[in-house]
Order: sequence, then C-alpha cells, then structure tokens
Amino acid sequence: MAISERQKHIRNFSIIAHIDHGKSTLADRLLEATQTVAKRDMEEQVLDNMELEKERGITIKARAVRLSYTAESGEEYVLNLIDTPGHVDFNYEVSRSLNACEGALLVVDATQGIEAQTLANAYLAVDAGLEILPVVNKIDLPSADIEGTRREIEDVIGIPAEDCPAVSAKVGLNIPDVLEHIVTDIPAPEGDENAPLKALIFDSYYDSYLGVVVYVRVVDGAVKSGDTIQLMSTGRTFEVVDVGVMDAFGLSKRAELRAGEVGYITASIKSVGDTRVGDTITLANDPATEALPGFKAVQPMVYAGIYPADGSRYGDLRDALEKLRLNDAALSFEPETSVALGFGYRCGFLGLLHMEIIEERLEREFNLDLITTAPSVIYEIVKRDGEMVRIDNPTNYPDPAEIESAKEPIVKASIITPTDYVGGLMDLCQDRRGDFVDMKYLDQQRVELHYRLPLNEIIYDFFDALKSRSRGYASLDYELEGYCESNLVKLDFLLNGEQVDALSFIVHEEKAYGRARKIAEKLKDNIPRQLFEVPIQAAIGSKIIARETVKAMRKDVLAKCYGGDITRKKKLLEKQKEGKKKMRQLGSVQVSPEAFMAVLKLDDDD
Amino acid sequence: MTDTAKKALGLYIHVPFCLRKCHYCDFYSAPSNAAHRAAYVAALCAHLRQKSHTVSGYTVDTVYLGGGTPTVLQTAEIAAILDTVRQCYPLAAEAEITVECNPVTNTEGLFEGLLAAGVNRLSIGLQSTHNNELQALGRLHTYEDFLATYRAARGAGFPNISVDLMLGIPEQTATSLAETLDRMTALAPEHISAYGLRVEEGTRFFDTVSVLSLPDEDAVADMQEQTAVALAAAGYEHYEVSNYARPGYRSRHNLRYWLSSPYLGFGPGAHSYFEGVRFETPRDTTAYLAAVAAADTDFLESEPHPIVGKEAQDEYVMLRMRLFEGLDEGDFRTRFGTSFEKAYGDTTRLEAAGLLTRRDGRIAFTERGMYVSNAILSEWLDFGADGAE
Repeated sequence: MAISERQKHIRNFSIIAHIDHGKSTLADRLLEATQTVAKRDMEEQVLDNMELEKERGITIKARAVRLSYTAESGEEYVLNLIDTPGHVDFNYEVSRSLNACEGALLVVDATQGIEAQTLANAYLAVDAGLEILPVVNKIDLPSADIEGTRREIEDVIGIPAEDCPAVSAKVGLNIPDVLEHIVTDIPAPEGDENAPLKALIFDSYYDSYLGVVVYVRVVDGAVKSGDTIQLMSTGRTFEVVDVGVMDAFGLSKRAELRAGEVGYITASIKSVGDTRVGDTITLANDPATEALPGFKAVQPMVYAGIYPADGSRYGDLRDALEKLRLNDAALSFEPETSVALGFGYRCGFLGLLHMEIIEERLEREFNLDLITTAPSVIYEIVKRDGEMVRIDNPTNYPDPAEIESAKEPIVKASIITPTDYVGGLMDLCQDRRGDFVDMKYLDQQRVELHYRLPLNEIIYDFFDALKSRSRGYASLDYELEGYCESNLVKLDFLLNGEQVDALSFIVHEEKAYGRARKIAEKLKDNIPRQLFEVPIQAAIGSKIIARETVKAMRKDVLAKCYGGDITRKKKLLEKQKEGKKKMRQLGSVQVSPEAFMAVLKLDDDD
Repeated sequence: MTDTAKKALGLYIHVPFCLRKCHYCDFYSAPSNAAHRAAYVAALCAHLRQKSHTVSGYTVDTVYLGGGTPTVLQTAEIAAILDTVRQCYPLAAEAEITVECNPVTNTEGLFEGLLAAGVNRLSIGLQSTHNNELQALGRLHTYEDFLATYRAARGAGFPNISVDLMLGIPEQTATSLAETLDRMTALAPEHISAYGLRVEEGTRFFDTVSVLSLPDEDAVADMQEQTAVALAAAGYEHYEVSNYARPGYRSRHNLRYWLSSPYLGFGPGAHSYFEGVRFETPRDTTAYLAAVAAADTDFLESEPHPIVGKEAQDEYVMLRMRLFEGLDEGDFRTRFGTSFEKAYGDTTRLEAAGLLTRRDGRIAFTERGMYVSNAILSEWLDFGADGAE
C-alpha cells in the first residue's frame, strides 16, 4: 500500500522496560532533546503525572505525547511517544498501547539485565509485530555492563543489539542517537487515509470540563470535529467536539486526525466505561466493516470488600469510588453489607497493584480511613442442580452439600531470577500449589522459570515471598490461563461462637489448616483483651480446625486518685468510652479497625 | 444530723516541693530552696485565712498534707500551717491529721515535732523493700532508711501509720513482692496502700517505657491478687481499689473523696469539692503566690463546675464503686429517682463472670471486678454527655 508523504514523516513508538530501568527518565530526555519541553520547564518525569506514580516510580496509566524532531537528514518528523503502564496488572492496556505503535524502545538497565517484565513486554511487542529498538541504559553507573547486556538481549530475545544505542538517561548521554534510530529503524505508519475510519482507543480519562478525553491511534481514514463517531463494541454514537494532539503541556486542537496519527477526541462522553481501551472508533455514516482485532472488555481478577473505618462515611466512600471510576473503567464496585463491618462496597480490580493503588488514592485523595477485607479471586462453582455461579465474595459461597464441582483461576507465571535463588523459588512455587512447566537459562547467571499457579496463591502474599526469597532480585509476570477444577473449602472464623463474615475466605483444602492456625493466632494477638474470655475458632462448615483464646482482661483500673482529683478519672473514662465508639463490633467482641487490618494483613513468607 | 449540727469538711494542703522528682511521678512538685518554701508557707496560710471567711457551718474533721514531700518543710513550718488551720476553721477534737513523708536519713526531732504540731497520722512512701526496685523508681531512699524512719515515728509515739507500696515496678517479681509483703505484715502498720505503677505522660518513665522491663498485665494482676491475699491473711481489710486497713484505721480523708463529702484544697494543683461544685487551683506555684497576694479567686478556684443531674449520678457510681462495700441501691434510688438497672442496664453477665456481686441491697465489684473496673465503668458512665469537658 502506498503511504502519503505525511505518513512517511510520522513515527509511533512506545518505551517498554522493567520498573526502575529508567523508562520515564528516558522519556523526559527525549522531550527535552526535541525541545518539546524546555529544560527549565521540565518537571522531573513529565509523563508520570499522578502523584502516586511519581512516588512509586511507575506509570499506572498510559499517556502519550507528540515530539517534533529534525533528523540529521534535515527532514522534520513527528514522533508520537505512547507510554505504557509497567505492571503485570495492566498487561492488556500495555498490549493495546503497543498496537497503536510501529516500534518500541526496549530499555534495559545495563547493571541489572533483562527482567521478567522486560521479557513479557518484549514478547507483547513482538506479538504486535513491532520493530524493537533496544536501548541499553544507565551506562554512567560503574557496574554497567554494556556489551554483556547487548549479548543478553540478542541471546534471550533474539533481536540484534550490536549497534543499539547505549545511553544514560539520567545524565543525558547519547540521547540524539536514540532519536536518530527511531527515525531510521522504526517504520512509518501504514493505513489508508481514504478508507472508512478505524481508530484504536489506547487510553481515556475523564475531564470535568471536556468529558471523556479519548486517546486514539488513527489506523485508517480521518476524523474531525462535527463527525458522528461510533464505538464498534457497543454501537453507541457521539458527536465529536474536538480533535487534536497531545504536547507536553496538554491538548492542542487540530482540524482533523488522519491515518497514522496519534491524538485525542472529545465528544461529550460522560463515562470512560463507554470508551474501553482496545475498542475501535469509526464513523456512524461510513462505518468500517470490521473492528481492529484484539478488543476485550477487561474483567476484574481480584475482589475485596472496602469499608469506611468510620461507618458514617459510607456516602463519602461511594462518592470517592464514583469519582475514581470516571477515570478507571477497570474498577468495578457494588454495595455490600457485612454483619461485622457494616455498609461498604465489593470492589473488583485487575490485580493486587491495582487494588493497592485504588486504596491509596481513596485514603490520600479522599481522606478516608478504610477497612479492606482479604482479596479474593473469582471461583466458578457448578451446583448439583447444574447451575454455574461465579463467586467473588466468600460470604456467597454455596453450602458444600450443593456443590458438584469448584474451579479456580490458574495463571501462567514467569519468574526471572539469579540462579542462586532458583531452589528457594521452586520451593515457594511448589508450596503454592504450582505446576512446574519449564526452566530456561537466560545466561550463566539467570534463569527463567515457568509455572502454572493458582491465582489465589498469587494474591496471597506471593510477590512479597518471591522478593524475600530472592533478596529482591527475582521478577514476576503472569497472565490468566483459565480455570481448573480444585478442592476448595470455605474457611470461617468464629469469635465467641459467632461467625464473623468479613473474615471468611476460600482456600484450597490442603492449605486450610495452616492458614486457619495462622489467622487464629493473629486474631488472638490483635484482639484486645475483653472483660470476658473470647474463644476464637476456625471452621470448615461445622468442623472446627483451629482454636485459640483471648484471655479475659485482668487489669484496667486507675489505682490512684491524687488529692481528690475526680475530674481526671472522669476524663480517663470518657477517653476510654470515645475509643470504644471507634471499635467494630465483631459479634460480641470489640475490635479496633487497626486490629482488624492487622489480622487481614498478609505477613512475610512463612 | 440536725440543722444546727455542723457539716464535716476536709482540707487538703499541697506542698509542691521534692528533693528530687521520681521517675514515675506526674504530680505537681519541684525542687526548692528555703526562701521559696518560706514564701510558699506564708501564701498557704494567707489562702487558708482568706477562704475561711467564706466557709461557715462546717467542722474540719480531716486534714491532709500531701505533695510533693511535705516534710521537705521545716517542722515549724508545718506547725505554722496547722496553727493557721486551727485559728481559722473549727477543728474537730478527733480530727484525722495526716502528713505524707518519705523515708529520710535524719529523723532527729522530726516526729516529735510533728506530733507536737498536732499531726496524728503519717503516710510513708516506701514502695518496695528492695533497693534495686527503689533505684529503678528513682527513689532516693533505701529500705534501711525506711526502717529507721518507721521506728523513729513509732518511737516518737505515732499511733497511726500508713505505708505506700507499689506494684508493677521494673524488676519486681512475685518473689520480691512476697518478701515485701512479709516484711510489711511483720511490721504491722495500721494502713497499707498498694498502687499499681502507671506510666503517665510527662514522666521520665513515659519517655523510657520501651526500655523498661515492666511486668506485663498478667504479672501485675497476679501481684494485685497476691497482695490482697497476703494482706487479708494478716488481718487487713481491702476497702478501696488500692487501700488496706486494719479495723478502724481506714483513711478518713481519702474516704470523703469516694463518699462525695466536701473538701477544700489549698496550693497549686489542689482540687476541691465544696457545696456541690468542683474546682481546682492551676499547677503553677509562682502564679499561685501572686493569686493569693491579689486574693484572685478566679485563679484559685479555676474551672468551677457544679455537679448536677446525670453527671452527679455517674460520678456517684464511679466514686462509690471504688469501695469494696460498693453502693447502696436504695440510696441510689432515693438520690436519683431511678433504679440501677434502668440507668445502667442488666448486670447478670458481669455477675456470672464473677466481676460483680449484688447482695443485701448493695452492688459491689469483686476483687477481680475491681481490677478491671475502668472497662466496666466506661460502659456504664458517660461523662461526655453533659458538661464534664
């Protein structure tokens, strides 16, 4: 297909890297080198503009920016940098961002080498048919091994790296080399300007003035303000208000967006739920015959109950979740009630990181104190009457007598680790009911392990255990493979003989005893002593499998009332009463929100 | 009591001086010199005189000099204070007059002087008979100092001596406490107080609590029970949370706190309950001297707070329940026009757990119940509701 002169001067690319390998810093240098951002205006790492992203040093949501670059040949190029989230929870978003590009910079830290996410994202890029341009970073560090890293890239990923740029994004070394390679190595976008519109949504966010701002890559055709667009997955139509491109400071209006270009569309859309990542936009009066491949509606994989620590803030929690959902189509929530915790929401997340981010944002941006129940995956239960139910809340787990079979989600996990830790990590995977698939030596020092693992084991503290058993060196990537029949049980906890719904969870039978004992012990350590002895029991159905006792309190008295100071004792009792008001009533037992969270907090590897 | 009969009143006189601050003490006290002390005594006497003009119809039947360490004052200064009391207030012939003192190395003439001044009860702060524990508390004396002091007081003719012990001292064990209790019962003072150590904010202990080897909750609870058993066996009545007495020797002054009987406090940090109103004098000696000089009653009687309604009822329960005799349900009903159950709910669960008894028309904590009484009282009472700010 012949492409236009305009298209010949466009390059669309992503940067993929493991966390901390310097992706954002490199992006900053590219912006600076192309004078997209003047150096004095540079805020560190322009692309990561959420506070939380800056703190965690990761990109949570994709962003895109347009750079203007005059090549050594003297020709002007438009470079569209599409940033990708750097975590396993956002694999699907990464794949869609990559599909909007023709090439990807694969940034590898010359002191660390290839990590699990580097590899996972590199494979995604290969799958998407991208030209991969390796960039060896952090060459300013004394321990940098440029040649070794290049060799590793060639050996492990199988792409030439002999002449690839070796840079230090931090100190700004060899950045022009990267820009020149982008122009020479990455192909210009193909696509027919005159065909019906096909634009790939790779991100969107809600703006209170503009409505949803949709980030797109136009594959075929063109779109301009006044057009009526249609979302191909839902058929919904909207009238375009504006189209334009993203420079480093925000949105910049254009007359139209044409094949090969990256830009934004606004169309008074009220919810990001209407503009799902991966969907195809076409024109209502001249629609494309088929959508771009690869769209799927993302489904939450991990669920947890979120409750306000102060029950009276239930309304605030609802408002906060609604605000977050405006910008996060992957977040789902619906009201739920717990006997122990009162009114709250069952929330669905892409994974644990996604969950942590939402929790942190709720606490930080909305000033809420939360109680979060243990995360759960979705189980598929076939009942004896043939009905299949999907269970994301242990409370709804059917009576064992009604269950014909139970299935749990299984993931394909890839772990890259220095060889020293292979033994410990294989033990860990074994302990977490993993099925060994294979093991590959990446080089003499590093190994890639493949396991099939139940997702409910991954969300139970797997990542921390992995890090502690490898002194932080092992990296993990996983994707959902499917569902597998499993011997599951629901574990309940009783305080004073009364079941506490918020503590129940679903677990594989062979893990039940160990977890039951551990949680019972934690309850014992965290429930303050009460006036009466509190028996703690862990049960599967009516069978008690672990028990502990919180002994009755023995000392809570003000021994001395100095010189008739009665007021002081009153204040003390008053303070004590105030403290009790914050307590959660778990059956007849009072527990502070902090104690409840301590029980649910997963400990380090043990 | 007939209309013409005088009402009883107690006086608490605070001496805010110490030789040195103990590690656990958050009471108002500081080191001093002779000039400070003389000026302070003059102010106290002036204050006693000023207040006496507004007090009529009362007979003083208890006087308590507390601190601090009142015996930091000269015996003559203590005598001057008590003389002022006698001049300004009708003092009952059988009045209980207590002075707190610490074990001292030189008792030459001290107790004879106190007796001559009219003091008839001594309260000696011993805490423990083990010198390592005394050291851990930051006390200046040794057990030997205490023995010398105690014997000198007896020798001088003191008929009524109380000894303070402490439970839950760093390094204290059941064995060391048993020894302390044995030594005490052998010595047989008329009254023994045994306070659990409380680590209060603003004390040296509070800042170092993480490195102190304090006995845990169970160990302290064991010590409380151990103390109760040992002292009961030696003929002491456990009449209040922390207080034990041989028959006839309960502290009459301290009892008035629990029985809501009136008392006036003098000195910085002193508290008063008079004609149904509680008030206090701020903890500031310099400001106190100035306020007395200026007869500034707004300062001397700060935060006046009438005790009425639900607060009076809750306070009554809080105070009476410190006593092992508990409260009289009939008296409660007469005073507040409601039954105990109506006011505070059903008590059967507490009774069943052995924390509370109800017999002969009285409600009282058991030994075990008393040690967890804050947890129970904070369920019952609500001082946030009306005005106890």
